[in-house]
Amino acid sequence: MLVRLAAEKATGALLRDHGTLYLVDGRVVHAESPAAPGMDVLLTTAGRIPREGWDEAVDRAGAHRAVGRFLVDSGRLGDGELEICHLGAVFDAAFFALSPASGPTRFRYGVGHWFGTVRPVSAEAVERETLRRRELLDAVWPYASVDTAPVVPRPAAPGQGLGARRRALLAAADGVRTPADLARLLGRPAFHTLLDVRRLAAAGLIETPLDAAPDATPTPPPPAFPPVPPVADPDIALLRRLRDALEAHL
Amino acid sequence: MSNVETALKDAASIDGAIGAALVDYTSGMALGTIGGGKELDLNVAAAGNTDVVRAKVRAMEMLNINEEIEDILITLGSQYHLIRLLKSRTSQGLFLYLALSKDRANLAMARHQLKKIEADLEV
Repeated sequence: MLVRLAAEKATGALLRDHGTLYLVDGRVVHAESPAAPGMDVLLTTAGRIPREGWDEAVDRAGAHRAVGRFLVDSGRLGDGELEICHLGAVFDAAFFALSPASGPTRFRYGVGHWFGTVRPVSAEAVERETLRRRELLDAVWPYASVDTAPVVPRPAAPGQGLGARRRALLAAADGVRTPADLARLLGRPAFHTLLDVRRLAAAGLIETPLDAAPDATPTPPPPAFPPVPPVADPDIALLRRLRDALEAHL
Repeated sequence: MSNVETALKDAASIDGAIGAALVDYTSGMALGTIGGGKELDLNVAAAGNTDVVRAKVRAMEMLNINEEIEDILITLGSQYHLIRLLKSRTSQGLFLYLALSKDRANLAMARHQLKKIEADLEV
């Protein structure tokens, strides 16, 4: 449907269960999803702009759909920063909006978004990137159950290294918060948080729900390893996790 | 002050440039690319080089070196690949990726110019 709307250069909002894509002349100008933190969270949580600054921009420029522009013109953000942050948020929300299990799709012609156009991207690029992200997640750790379960840290093996970003993620994991909660709390894109969570799972640093079943969508195995049969036996799952953790250490 | 497109155009105008990309190194996504052509698929280069950056960041942590990486240079037979990390004030990790033809490029000059492009993009 997105391809068709792009071909007919449609303008409006593509509504799906897990998010909305906004198009202008068939190109994607904005996206939002309840699963992904919005621009306000990304910018204010990181302390880049104060909450009042954001509210002021929405109050003064929201009505004529130029909030992004206002943030730059009022000196709150650089041009490049706005673009980079907005592109990040658009691809992040699009990843969830375009998820395969996302129910019915509707299109409302003529509907725009109050944030305003920053840098339109082709629908094809959004679809390609969404697919690449799905494959990347499964190449890291092919069990989607960790995506929605509360993140429960496990003790690290002696000497097991961990980047600052993932350390902060684990520090915020209180056994109740899900990856989506953590993304919002830390002001990070939701996909980036999912990727970190799957990497942590592969390294054995978080609990993985026992009923973990392979993803329904068939994906090619990571190129570095020979093809493996689908895992049903928990012992094999344990062995694979052990292998992944050891390899992460090489 | 510049935007992504200007930054990439400036990078492409560096002597000997084959192509350039602005990459988010957590997700491996290229936020923008320029040049490359048949010689070099920049989207693939973007995703692949995030592993280079992540490995180096991790090595630095293991060594307890508390310094920022400015740039990473990869020298091939006929090309230079320059990776310049951006000091972002939001939580995104980004780098500029520049592929240069070795016989047409001035490495010191290219590094200097890339530094300037980064500064312009950040302000």
